[in-house]
Amino acid sequence: MLFLKRFLGLFTGVVLLASTAAVAAPGPLDQARATVDAVMAILKESNLEKQVRRERLSATIRARFDFAEMSQRILALHWKNASDQQRDRFVALFSDLLERNYIGRIESYTNEKIDFVKERVQGNRAAVDTLIMTKSAEIPISYRMVQKGAEWMVYDVVIESVSFVNNYRSSYGEILKNEGFDGLLARMSEKLADLEKNGNNGKPTEP
Amino acid sequence: MKKIFLFLSLVLWLSAGTVFAADDEFVFEEDPFAEAEPASIADPLEPVNRGFFWFNDKLYVYLLKPVARGLRVIPEPARVSVSNFFSNLGTPVRVANNLFQLKIANTGSELARLLLNSTFGLAGLFDPASSWGLEKKEEDLGQTFGHYGAGTGFYLVLPVFGPSSLRDGIGRIGDYFIDPLPHALKQEELIGLSALDQENALSLDKDTYEGIRKHEIDPYLFVRDAYAQHREAKVKE
Repeated sequence: MLFLKRFLGLFTGVVLLASTAAVAAPGPLDQARATVDAVMAILKESNLEKQVRRERLSATIRARFDFAEMSQRILALHWKNASDQQRDRFVALFSDLLERNYIGRIESYTNEKIDFVKERVQGNRAAVDTLIMTKSAEIPISYRMVQKGAEWMVYDVVIESVSFVNNYRSSYGEILKNEGFDGLLARMSEKLADLEKNGNNGKPTEP
Repeated sequence: MKKIFLFLSLVLWLSAGTVFAADDEFVFEEDPFAEAEPASIADPLEPVNRGFFWFNDKLYVYLLKPVARGLRVIPEPARVSVSNFFSNLGTPVRVANNLFQLKIANTGSELARLLLNSTFGLAGLFDPASSWGLEKKEEDLGQTFGHYGAGTGFYLVLPVFGPSSLRDGIGRIGDYFIDPLPHALKQEELIGLSALDQENALSLDKDTYEGIRKHEIDPYLFVRDAYAQHREAKVKE
């Protein structure tokens, strides 16, 4: 009997522990907010060395974005037909490009208020709707996320109803059609080299 | 003119189903938040469009944007007011198109906005209606055509005006006739006003186009597909 009691005690203890852990794990909205806040904080730190800043931004974003899933969605059928090498190369190039792109976009809004409006969760997928409140307009940005363990990872960013994934799917699809997979990879690395050369820190250069 | 218009409308309706290239039948996995499959917009005039895109790019970089940057010496709140003022002037077109789509509540809301913002908002310089829960309901004739089933037709890059489509281009012309402003003003006054409107809007914009220009491997394709997606979402709204 004592054994049973102990066992039950242990059992409820474990269950309690598990459920508090589940309650404590932040939902997609909180996780997205933490990342956006962290990015903003780094962008606002003016005395950071450029290289350090880039690395920190990169680490913060990569911890929240699922570039492999994004790449699969963008390439769709082309992903299936690509070799492992091509896939890895694409994910590497694309994550670099998107990272810079995202930093560049979000950087223009460092002085604006970002409202985390709501999260919608269905199974292991979630949409987190945010609003950037500029003085003249409100810009809706929605993050699409997928749950991987305790983490919610972004696989698409939808700005004013324009989905990054869909946009790249169409425009890269056209390049794939005309120039093939290696052609696309070549153009992507060319673009990256170009951005590197022009001392890219996310800011659009003046022409 | 009328005949051409009718003919074009007919072509648009007939082509609604066919111009969209059937996209790869690829389902990733069930995803409740997936955006609807983007209807890739047909672009038979691509070489010409690319020409105009190039022209617009140069116009933007060397003329329109420098002027807009110059405008930034004016404090932002003043420029926001100018933007509100022009937005208020655009009400008749929005009212008409909300009505055409039988969006009665939105039509009423636009009329109420016109009334409130023209009076309490000091001739439209301010937008108190928004803070009272009456948000702007953007509708134009292109969206009205789309609402009734017209396809986009094909992609068009208009010189100066930028991305459009056969449907939305025709819509622009129609909206011009709906709008009372062109009838009340001389041609050169109208051009001056809309130039001011556009430059002011550019001065408020956060260098969106510069970002695209810099980061995309093919800005033309990126803008085209973003336009198609954006308009489709607008039509469905």
